[in-house]
Amino acid sequence: MSSIRLNNVKKAYGATEVIHGVDLDISEGEFVVFVGPSGCGKSTLLRLISGLEDITDGDLYIGDERVNDYRPKERGIAMVFQSYALYPHMTVYKNMAFGLKLGKTDKAEIDRRVRETAKILQLDKLLDRRPSELSGGQRQRVAIGRAIVRQPKVFLFDEPLSNLDAALRVQTRIEIANLHEELKTTIIYVTHDQVEAMTLADKIVVLNGGNVEQVGAPLELYNSPRNLFVAGFIGSPSMNFIKGEITLISDTGVTVTAGGGSAVTLPLKPGKATVGEAVTIGVRPEHMNEGADGDFHLTGRVDVVERLGDVSYVYFHLPDTERLTMSVPFTSAAKKGEAIAVSAASADIHLFDEQGQALERLP
Amino acid sequence: MSMQKMRKPLGAAGVHAILGAYTVLALWPIFLVIANSFKERKAIFRDPLALPTIDSFSLIGFEKVLGKSSFGLYLFNSLSVTLITLAIVLLIGAMAAWALSEYKFKGNTLLSIYMAIGIMVPIRLGSVSILQLIVDLDLTNTRTALVLVYVAQSLPLAIFILSEFMRQIPGDLKEAARCDGISEYGIFFHIILPLVRPAIATVGVFTMVPIWNDLWFPLILAPSPETATITLGVQQFIGQYVTDWNSVLASLTMAILPVLIIYLIFSRQLIRGITSGAVK
Amino acid sequence: MKTTQTGWLGRFPWHIAVFLAPAVLIYTLFMIYPLLDSIRLSFFTADDSGAISYAGFANYVTILGDPEWRASFLNALYNNLVFFLVHMLVQNPVGLLLAALLSLPRLRLRSTYRTLIFMPTMLSVVIIGFVWQLILSPLWGISETLLYYVGLVDWFEPWLGQENTALVTLSLISVWQFVGIPMILIYAALLLIPEDLTEAAEIDGANHWHIFWHIKLPLILPTIAMVSILTFIANFNAFDLIYAVKGALAGPNFSTDIMGTLFYRTFFGFQLQLGSPTMGATVATLMFLVILVGVLFYLFGVQRRLRRYAM
Repeated sequence: MSSIRLNNVKKAYGATEVIHGVDLDISEGEFVVFVGPSGCGKSTLLRLISGLEDITDGDLYIGDERVNDYRPKERGIAMVFQSYALYPHMTVYKNMAFGLKLGKTDKAEIDRRVRETAKILQLDKLLDRRPSELSGGQRQRVAIGRAIVRQPKVFLFDEPLSNLDAALRVQTRIEIANLHEELKTTIIYVTHDQVEAMTLADKIVVLNGGNVEQVGAPLELYNSPRNLFVAGFIGSPSMNFIKGEITLISDTGVTVTAGGGSAVTLPLKPGKATVGEAVTIGVRPEHMNEGADGDFHLTGRVDVVERLGDVSYVYFHLPDTERLTMSVPFTSAAKKGEAIAVSAASADIHLFDEQGQALERLP
Repeated sequence: MSMQKMRKPLGAAGVHAILGAYTVLALWPIFLVIANSFKERKAIFRDPLALPTIDSFSLIGFEKVLGKSSFGLYLFNSLSVTLITLAIVLLIGAMAAWALSEYKFKGNTLLSIYMAIGIMVPIRLGSVSILQLIVDLDLTNTRTALVLVYVAQSLPLAIFILSEFMRQIPGDLKEAARCDGISEYGIFFHIILPLVRPAIATVGVFTMVPIWNDLWFPLILAPSPETATITLGVQQFIGQYVTDWNSVLASLTMAILPVLIIYLIFSRQLIRGITSGAVK
Repeated sequence: MKTTQTGWLGRFPWHIAVFLAPAVLIYTLFMIYPLLDSIRLSFFTADDSGAISYAGFANYVTILGDPEWRASFLNALYNNLVFFLVHMLVQNPVGLLLAALLSLPRLRLRSTYRTLIFMPTMLSVVIIGFVWQLILSPLWGISETLLYYVGLVDWFEPWLGQENTALVTLSLISVWQFVGIPMILIYAALLLIPEDLTEAAEIDGANHWHIFWHIKLPLILPTIAMVSILTFIANFNAFDLIYAVKGALAGPNFSTDIMGTLFYRTFFGFQLQLGSPTMGATVATLMFLVILVGVLFYLFGVQRRLRRYAM
């Protein structure tokens, strides 16, 4: 178990910088998820921490040691690869024992650890099989087992679930969560799937274009996204964005009007925002309701209704063609082509200034 | 970083030293022959390691070779035999590969194995009967004899490589063509043949190099001066003028240079072809 | 598939026959038939007029029983074995080393090395034979000069001319020329190993040597086995190099005689001995058997035990 600290970590390939100075603190035993769209730099950042790639600039600490110049094996890490990277010519047992054998661990100790780990992962009956004789889920567990036997200070997971089918993915996700509960080892986990991030993480790091957009607990990111990118990335279906304009700034908050919608006063600090500034109003689909109970009113026309059983998604558009999504109870009678009145409570509404930064809430 | 680099068994410098040394070992004999072929006789012996200078430069060897042998004819014979063989192998090899990889019919597996025997068994072992056959067909001392034997020799590997390649062509493509009402011949000539073009480089090399360099069949099937290939021609010429160093070096250079030039032009495709996994 | 019916089920699939016919015909006529016919001929003997008659195993009895024939056959077989062993011990390990170095990550000049080292392989064996004959010739003295520079001039001997060194020298010339083949095939196999695997091993604490020894080598064993059998077939079928450098007599005193040159001499004759197609066919059949033993050993003894791993 170990804490990890990144201090202005940069990575460049030749003249192209792909990680632009990342600062990050990870406490001992924390489950941290790096999430972001493909190409955002999350895998690169993981490889920098693992030591598979050199850090161009900045410092990386694992525990109290600066490990920039350490080789992967000296960093006390273990990694689970997306493709599992099981050695095809070795049995499950040998796959798990290989790293320990190279580390000159005592034979009896290796055997004890491998068997113990295999038991935890229900691999004990598969130890003599080769990877080609295992199912996808079993291979996944071997890959995790190989990491566990090394008793690392930090686990690194690189999109470990993306090769599994949906059912297995949910199951393995729960297993990984339980495993963390049991081992209490620091885990860094990379994924592009925000559901995995929300369900697994103690702390989520949202990355975009080689920059950290926001770091926080899952609900913190959900409730108070710091900018448009995080607001749009976290949450499913994605947050709705409506163009608007600030018409008044007062002690009670900021008043905005949206094209085709009503004026609403939001309990936010204006910050640097000024009257007349073009802003973006953000409302999550699950925070919109049919009817006029809320503080912010919109009227539009229904394009499509998707009925998922417990919930229905209503896709509709405003007169000025902005397309929005609303999540409503299955009892909703919304129909394609009909007009629809929608509202939302002012407490659930986010506001982003011209630069896309969120306005803070009033205390 | 320095610690990390040092602990590798040999650093980048060591790797380059080994590869560089081997490259020199691989090239200097060839370089030596080419360099000396442009020198006068005395310079060849006095200072064999030197490049030709203004003083020592001489084309006497080349003049003698061109005067005393039919070098141009040998070159033409080699070129025509090699290229005609290649064209035939590509066409009928692709046809057979297509039939074997696409259609399910009785005996397909057996026929595939039958065609693959030639990859493992050298055709030379049948030379006694091949010579008899060529005599019976009245084809001795003809380039046709060489082409026929070389086609047979090259087909097994060509069919093997081409069918591996054809199996990777998506089935949708053929199905779509069949839905459009194109005949099986049409599919082969208009869709498959254009698609296997990338494999031609690989097949081409595996077909052409052994033929171009072969001594055995020209020696036993077509040894006459009119039909000699360049390998045979050079071999016989050197046997005759073994003490004339200028001529020997010049004839070797003339045999080496065309291949070297073609190799350097196509080496990228060639090595990519081999390393792409078409040959396992 | 639309055209899966055969023969009696549907219309006769003429197009399959048309696609197959030219290749199958030429291949059968000029490769399979001669191979089988050679084996048949080995059981016949020819009289002075050239007419042949059935002779049973007489030719084999002659080659393996007659003291002179037997001596030259065993000599050629033994020499061929030496020729093969030199390739296995020098060509393939060097090829493996070069391939391993070439496949190192982030190597500069990779394709240049690859191209240049492969170059001699493209040239004719005959040409290469002459080139080395010149270089090793005491007349030209270039080897002596080079040895002089490195202080080993006393080592120089006319290696190609001496009975006890000629065969190994010729083997090494062949190794020098063909080292590119194992190199490129093994290199191709090494490229197929996914980077994830070597990175996983690196995380497991493996250094470059461990990775090569424990991960890469086991995964390319099938390729090394294949390279070995290809070497075996090529070596027991070799002829051009010996013929070009030493002639059909494979001197000095038959010390470089291998199966290929023995076959040629038996078939076409030399000096006092007349050529004999049927005896030639017998030698060819024996060569075929030697190669067959090698191939069968490979197919059933080696290849079956080596797993090819899906990567």
